[in-house]
Amino acid sequence: MISDFFYRTRLTLIQLEKFLGAISLITLLGIALLQVILRNIFELGFSDMDVVARHLVLFVTFMGAALASEGNRHIKIDCISSAIKQSYRDKLRRPLISISSLVCGIFFWYSLQFWLDEYQYAPDNEQLALYMALILPAGFFVLSLHFFLIVVSPESIPDEQAG
Amino acid sequence: MLILLICLIILALLGLPLFVALGAGGLYASVQSDLDPVVLIIELYRLANQPNLISIPLFTLAGMTMAAGGGPKRLIKLFDALLGWMPGGLAMAAIVSCAFFTAFTGASGVTIIALGGLLYPMFMQANYSEKFSLGLLTSSGSLGLLFPPSLAILLYGIVSGTSIDELFLAGIIPGLILLVLLSLYSYKSALKWHQPADDFSWGKLAQASRETIWDIFLPILVIIGIFGGFVTVTEAAAVTAAYALFIETVVYKEIKLSSDLPEILIDTCKLVGSILIILGVAMGLTNLLIDTQLPSKLLSLVESHITSQLEFLLLLNLFLLVIGAMMDIFSAIVVVVPLIMPLALRYQIDPVHLGIIFLANLEIGYMTPPVGINLFIASQRFGKSILTLFQSAMPFLGIMLLWLLMVSYIPALTLWWK
Repeated sequence: MISDFFYRTRLTLIQLEKFLGAISLITLLGIALLQVILRNIFELGFSDMDVVARHLVLFVTFMGAALASEGNRHIKIDCISSAIKQSYRDKLRRPLISISSLVCGIFFWYSLQFWLDEYQYAPDNEQLALYMALILPAGFFVLSLHFFLIVVSPESIPDEQAG
Repeated sequence: MLILLICLIILALLGLPLFVALGAGGLYASVQSDLDPVVLIIELYRLANQPNLISIPLFTLAGMTMAAGGGPKRLIKLFDALLGWMPGGLAMAAIVSCAFFTAFTGASGVTIIALGGLLYPMFMQANYSEKFSLGLLTSSGSLGLLFPPSLAILLYGIVSGTSIDELFLAGIIPGLILLVLLSLYSYKSALKWHQPADDFSWGKLAQASRETIWDIFLPILVIIGIFGGFVTVTEAAAVTAAYALFIETVVYKEIKLSSDLPEILIDTCKLVGSILIILGVAMGLTNLLIDTQLPSKLLSLVESHITSQLEFLLLLNLFLLVIGAMMDIFSAIVVVVPLIMPLALRYQIDPVHLGIIFLANLEIGYMTPPVGINLFIASQRFGKSILTLFQSAMPFLGIMLLWLLMVSYIPALTLWWK
């Protein structure tokens, strides 16, 4: 019952990551194109658009990294693991993902501290960047949660849903 | 604490995601230096101040769009019509198509998956030897790494602070030399087998050109746009991504906006995310290592043993070949570049030349065991063992090593424009 709940939460999280990642990327493309047109045709530029575009790269990064957790698609230096038996690799998988969840959890904590500090001292003209920077704690939270859900509901997700 | 560090290295070698290993290393280093780990987040947030970073997801989107559309098939058709009449012509067509395609997809394995599957049956049908075909297709997955708008060059430029425009320019001649060397080898091999050659046909070439005219315009757009000073790298990326989407959805109608586009966007996010998260997390760690004077200590150590630029380049090549065989190219750029940059500058190696040497070594690492990613992808794609593929790729590896020596010791090949 509990494992079913975790599995469904994981599926929902994947959908959320896909949605946010795809929307961020297409918005990034839209803004970048608009900037090209404004700058080269109308000789105009908006600094806020630049701030949003640069932060959207972080959105794409975190959502993409979270999605890469499915199917163990992260970049690794697995020169030892590639030489050991599949059964040993399977045994190693959960401890390695648990460590990943823990480390991302720690990063979530420190990025929250960072954001709260920024919140206190950010000048008025940096409010947009401040709120966009929420992606740092949110991103690490999503990563940590995703790894955690893989540990507690290790069933593999069908490819069409995992993306 | 030392035990913790050793455990971390072992875990990384066992398959812990690299960004997690680097993040944990950063946490460890900050605690050791009595610094608040928030400094790691501050460094990571610096990513949002890198204007060129926007070009990475956008160029990747362009590459993914082409891969999902009919780009690979059209390119092979064009280059086959252009070169297929010569002995070894199909192999040459494969080399040029793969290089063209890899420049846009970032040598992320997409080339072998997208083009390898199309080319392998064509090679078999044209009576090429299996060993030659497998070797060529395994090696060709990273051939366009030095051509604009290569993802690896973009990342190197961002990490090292070197001009991306200059790196793009510097990579063109070495990249072309490699294509020529491999084409000559293909020609020679085909002569040996008395490879039947197709006749050249203007009609076939005209038809293929008509079909690919929109694709061919893509690299022209990037090269003229950037080197002509009309657009910045980021603007070129935006225009390229939009152009690729336009031709695949409107002109060729290979991609449906409602059903295919979301999948392309998600695949792009995954590729970009798995690379940039390493860059973000590693920025904190590398800065902590710089604060602990690690590069200076490394410099003193090297200086005590190496006296000339020639010796240094030789050592650098050996070191990078080992790194290339152990690490993925993107992680190697993020982790190794900040450490070797001061060394290279001390031995008066131009940062742009260093970048090309660095990427040339890692290009070879793609097909070298134990973790050469081309070997693994080709193994899955063609159903052959890693050993078979490595043996097949050996002649190509030899040619690439010769090319590496040329690129390393003849700086004029990369810096001719200076």
